[in-house]
Amino acid sequence: MSKDVTVTIDGVSVTVPEGTLLVEAAKKVDHEIPVYCYHPKLGPAGLCRICLVEIEKMPKLQIACNTPVTDGMVVHTSSKNATEGRRAVLEFLLLNHPLDCPICDKGGECDLQDYVMAYGQGASRLADAKMHKPKAVDLGPTIVLDEERCILCLRCVRFDEIVTNEHSLRTEDRGAHAIIATATGEAYRSSFTGNVTELCPVGALTSKTYRFKSRPWDLHRTPTSCLQCSVGCRLNIDERHGEVLRTMSDPDDAISDGWLCDRGRYNIGFYHDERRITTPLLRTGEQWVQISWDEAIEQWAASLKESAAADGPQSIGVLGGGRLLNEEAFLLRHLCDALGVKNVDWRTGRQRFASHAARNSLAELENAGVIVTYGRPPSQMAPILDLRIRKAVSHNGARLISFGELGADAFVAEKHANTLDELRAALPAQYERIAFVSDGVSRPLDAALAGLRDELAAAGKQIVSYVLGEQPNARGADALGLVPSGGGLDARGMLEAARDGKLRTLAIFGANPMLRFPDRALVEAALARVPFTIVSELFMTQTAERANVILPARGPFEKTGTTTNVAGEILDIRAGLHAPEGTLADGEMFAVLADALGIALPDVHAIRLAIESAVGNGLQRDEAQPPKPRASTMGLIIRHIEHIFSGGGTSAFDAHIAALRPGPALLVARGEAGLEDGDVVDVVAVDGTRLDKLTVRTGNRIARGNVFVIDGLPEAPANLFADGAAVSIENVRKVREPVEA
Amino acid sequence: MASITPVLMKGIGELNLREIDVYKAQGGYAQLERALRELASEDVVKMTDASVLRGRGGAGFPTGRKWQFLPNNGEPRYLVCNCDEAEPGTFKDHQLLEETPHQVIEGIAIGSYAIGCHHAFIYIRGEFKRGYEIFRDAVAQARAAGYIGKGICGSNYDLELTLHRGAGAYICGEETALLNSLEGRRGEPRLKPPFPAVKGLYQKPTVVNNVETLAYLPWILKNGPEWFKAVGTERSTGYKVVSISGHVNKPGNYEVALGTTIRELIEIAGGMRQGRKCVAVQPGGGSSACIFEEQLDVPFEYESLAEAGSMLGSGAMVVFDETTDFVKAAHSLVRFFAHESCGQCTPCREGGHWLQATLERILCGEGLESDIEILKSASHQLTGINLCPLGDSIEPFLGSVIHRFEDQFRSYIKQPRTKVAS
Amino acid sequence: MIGVSEATTASAVDFPALLERLRPELEAIIAQYEEPRSALLPLMHRFQQEEGYVSREAMSTAAEMLGLTPAIVESVVSFYTLFFRKPVGKYMLQVCRGLSCVIDDAEEIMAYFRKQLGIGHLETTADGLFSYEEVECLAACDRATCMQVNLEFVYDLTPQMIDEMLAAIRAGTYPVAPLAQTRKPERTWKVPQETRGKSAGAQGVSDPNDPGGVGDRSGVIMLERFTQERWLEGRSRERMVSDAAAWLATNTEEKKGH
Repeated sequence: MSKDVTVTIDGVSVTVPEGTLLVEAAKKVDHEIPVYCYHPKLGPAGLCRICLVEIEKMPKLQIACNTPVTDGMVVHTSSKNATEGRRAVLEFLLLNHPLDCPICDKGGECDLQDYVMAYGQGASRLADAKMHKPKAVDLGPTIVLDEERCILCLRCVRFDEIVTNEHSLRTEDRGAHAIIATATGEAYRSSFTGNVTELCPVGALTSKTYRFKSRPWDLHRTPTSCLQCSVGCRLNIDERHGEVLRTMSDPDDAISDGWLCDRGRYNIGFYHDERRITTPLLRTGEQWVQISWDEAIEQWAASLKESAAADGPQSIGVLGGGRLLNEEAFLLRHLCDALGVKNVDWRTGRQRFASHAARNSLAELENAGVIVTYGRPPSQMAPILDLRIRKAVSHNGARLISFGELGADAFVAEKHANTLDELRAALPAQYERIAFVSDGVSRPLDAALAGLRDELAAAGKQIVSYVLGEQPNARGADALGLVPSGGGLDARGMLEAARDGKLRTLAIFGANPMLRFPDRALVEAALARVPFTIVSELFMTQTAERANVILPARGPFEKTGTTTNVAGEILDIRAGLHAPEGTLADGEMFAVLADALGIALPDVHAIRLAIESAVGNGLQRDEAQPPKPRASTMGLIIRHIEHIFSGGGTSAFDAHIAALRPGPALLVARGEAGLEDGDVVDVVAVDGTRLDKLTVRTGNRIARGNVFVIDGLPEAPANLFADGAAVSIENVRKVREPVEA
Repeated sequence: MASITPVLMKGIGELNLREIDVYKAQGGYAQLERALRELASEDVVKMTDASVLRGRGGAGFPTGRKWQFLPNNGEPRYLVCNCDEAEPGTFKDHQLLEETPHQVIEGIAIGSYAIGCHHAFIYIRGEFKRGYEIFRDAVAQARAAGYIGKGICGSNYDLELTLHRGAGAYICGEETALLNSLEGRRGEPRLKPPFPAVKGLYQKPTVVNNVETLAYLPWILKNGPEWFKAVGTERSTGYKVVSISGHVNKPGNYEVALGTTIRELIEIAGGMRQGRKCVAVQPGGGSSACIFEEQLDVPFEYESLAEAGSMLGSGAMVVFDETTDFVKAAHSLVRFFAHESCGQCTPCREGGHWLQATLERILCGEGLESDIEILKSASHQLTGINLCPLGDSIEPFLGSVIHRFEDQFRSYIKQPRTKVAS
Repeated sequence: MIGVSEATTASAVDFPALLERLRPELEAIIAQYEEPRSALLPLMHRFQQEEGYVSREAMSTAAEMLGLTPAIVESVVSFYTLFFRKPVGKYMLQVCRGLSCVIDDAEEIMAYFRKQLGIGHLETTADGLFSYEEVECLAACDRATCMQVNLEFVYDLTPQMIDEMLAAIRAGTYPVAPLAQTRKPERTWKVPQETRGKSAGAQGVSDPNDPGGVGDRSGVIMLERFTQERWLEGRSRERMVSDAAAWLATNTEEKKGH
């Protein structure tokens, strides 16, 4: 229905769909109209007034950012009037600007610098002192704000409003005294803060991790995909002198929609951490001894041969793989097949399955009429995907329903359905597409939900499904066969076999079961019993600590290959950093082992083809019976909750992330058991398992009768408790003295 | 010579029109009753349109036309009465609100009926605490008498009226800023389009009308549009309450037929104080340019004032005699606009502050020769490129008095006094 | 209505109890609007009426009641000059500095207020009784110079009226009720910029917009007219104020009749 219109911009004709904004139409003919407040993803605001143009038949200059083109419109961007208007706006912007470009991080990529160069006047006419505003305001754990450099384009405030819907940034005061602020006394905390530094057209908002580090022209950029969660946002590694100084989003990326979460953006401080393991280590007694790669591979090969010779390949187990690249996963499976090893399982956490169906693009989520989340919240599992959900809800009117027996699935959403009947009742009368976002954990309502999905599909609804991976390449590892085959044992089976003395060699790649497997006691018992455990890791994690040999691995920015994201897309991973000497990528370890064992490997093209065909097929396997819900007879039920900044690996060894990591906490409904924010408590299960010194945080969206502990914190491992175990709270230390009634 | 013609002002100062019975005894609420009984809402629109009643808040847009912009899309419509009077020199709505609240209520009700609105609002300037209380009491009386609420005057027409107090922001007089404020937001003008007629309060079609505009509706209904059109000029019809202040003997609100000359208005206000000479008049509120002694015979109506280089605006006349310090006068207004700038648009936010600082430096005896040029060019270059008219309101007065009284500005600069220490 | 004369005795407010008492009224206010957020200004007015200023609790309570974040509420509150985010004096004296008053005698009136109160624009007396502000046009231009005392108008001000007003307020006989005062006011109720936002890492920048500080030139301008002829190097600002007052005292007969 939309028709095309033709507009002339500086004598060049361009035909665009009716309703296109002039500023966008101008881009089509490479006439970039300067903008500050306008941003394609935030829309027009009409504040900065820099995009003034002259339009024939209109008496006043118009702003290109809010003017839809009409047929026959004739626009001049550099007429005398337009030039004068732009010059005037720049003069106003610079009046009180500190002009501290020499020490400003934005220097060299600043729109104010650029436009003043292009359109501004030479000298200031201000005879008075410049107005001063606070500088280097500590806005929160990640961001510093210079109010003097700020030009009040409000892109940051609008991002926080339109995109994240969090409304934590704001304008304070008005007129010339206006500044950007948070609520008094509150830090700017969000999973998306870093984006405002990229949106800021000047040097007002800067990342603490990048301040005074470099000039943009000294950085060497490598585009890759983020491997901090299963979304796989495209990001740019900006490296200098071998160090990654910052990461930047790709505005045109269809996966990330142009944004990055702070986990992905800032979890880059570990690459050069001195705790990094850079040489293979052998345990001798209580000591770790540095050994050569040759020795390490020799030990590993020898253990495999001995195990196979003694008890057959069933005495060998391979755990992990969700953190490997596709190619690495392929090689691992290839090795297992060559050795006859059938005990393979990537599922070393809570996740049981990695996909429901073939590929659904993330953009399809945006236009769903209904979104059902099931399981741990997407905001903590896949923040950028969560932004799509927010967009669907706040801009496209989607209905968001969180589903699951009350309490079993973390937070209570705006609409929460405990049962299938409630879910049915919560569905709107009319919609075309319904999206299911789950975390791949087996739960009692799985079968019912699958039934509903089939029913809706039969009724002509378009179904899109996303299974959020606990690890970035869960879907790839699953598709490439890092699962038990031919009667092999799954992760639990392997751990039980190990505990019972039936495993001789256990290899753990790209996984930290000590922290992530739901039964920590089992992992501990298993690792204590296996004669030979080999672990590839970057840091001395709680799993690595219990190995016999540790292989120093490489991080995501140090490898090249592909990964498979939540949507089933195969994404390129490119090394943008030189890895520390002495480390190898897991794939290289497999190749070296294959060589040592005389196993031939397929060539690169064959691997690539194998990956593409494997990933394209959605896998649907028979699942083990989901655990029965445990009826609680006493006290409270403990649940595990994901936190985007938790984890025992790279994030635990990253100075950048330190300020963002949650402390050991107990989340309870407001008013539960008389607990208040800040109280310190111990949690004890019936069997005596306990976590001590948890700080209480209350919320009004937590189901009563439940308490939540954050998963993946080495200092307070939640997997000590079974999810759903009955617990009691002891030793309440009040933060406030009780008020007398 | 012309004289005052009290229409809206009739009875003020003599009768306690805050009491509904007194108001009704003067014929009050009869037109609302009649409209609901005899007139279709379109008839009220037609009569208003025919009267060429122009908005009395400042912009002067024909009221009937404004109403007709409302789309017929079945959405609820809102009428908001703008009583956020804060334009320097203007004090007419303040008086109408306090002295004759029922006339305003009747006007709101008639306007609401005309456009098919069932929930009207009045946005009252935060400083008018007393006016708010008086109006609140009047609304209670009107509600008790059946003029507000369900099925008013026995008809099947429902009208709710909600009072909303501002909290100190001139910019909320701009209609989209007012709507933001009414929605609980910062009083920042909205980007247009969309216009309020299409997406106003709660994104629904909305009309914002000034107090005085609405108060004329009962009279237009009573006497007919021809009566209103009979005075004034073809495009500036009817009567107008003119707020006259400054160096006259009897400052106050005077209701006159449009077209009365400035000189006559000064006479109506008791003539110049101490027999001094009138050197300039700001005829249309703080946003308007001055006209000068040789222009005093300009008729006080929209077109003539525009031709004379100024505007009728809110209809507030500030009269200046020869003792006036125009540097201070200019500073007062520039400071006002800088203080009241919402800060959204770069030119208004930065330019206003720059002009204020420059004028303060001049007043402090630290002026520079170059400042005169800065005042002229900076005020000019910030005009016409802002989102709302506030920024554009700085130049007219400043520009006109610098042009006329440049020597006053220069004398501050040429006789520098010792720097004032703090 | 009788004012109180003794120095501030701030009685801390029991906010939960206050909220409990106001809740039905606040809910009725919210119900007047199609969208709850519209009730934000009315709610802030109501809390300020009770507490004398808009407290953090008031803002967070309103945020919760209206489904907003504290940042949104604070942003809105900071936009409007009639909301005080810090405690003010029991009598808020707001003198008009609009055009019609300025071309009349507003400058003398303002100078006289400053002298008699011993404070400047946006400041509060040490005893917490008076706050003083020079405000924009109050829409009573026919009665210049005008002012508001706790938002009640006073017209055609003269120094004598000011003396009587201040004396009556101090004596507790002024016919305008005092504002609620639940916390002792500081020197100014203007929120200084360096404390805005989270300032843990902020450098100690002095605020040029600090009322009464170097950035506030309104007092300087006002004083300038009294000192142009009699300027002496090195004379203090306080001295200038007292000189101005003396000058005023001898020139009051020039007051216009009205």
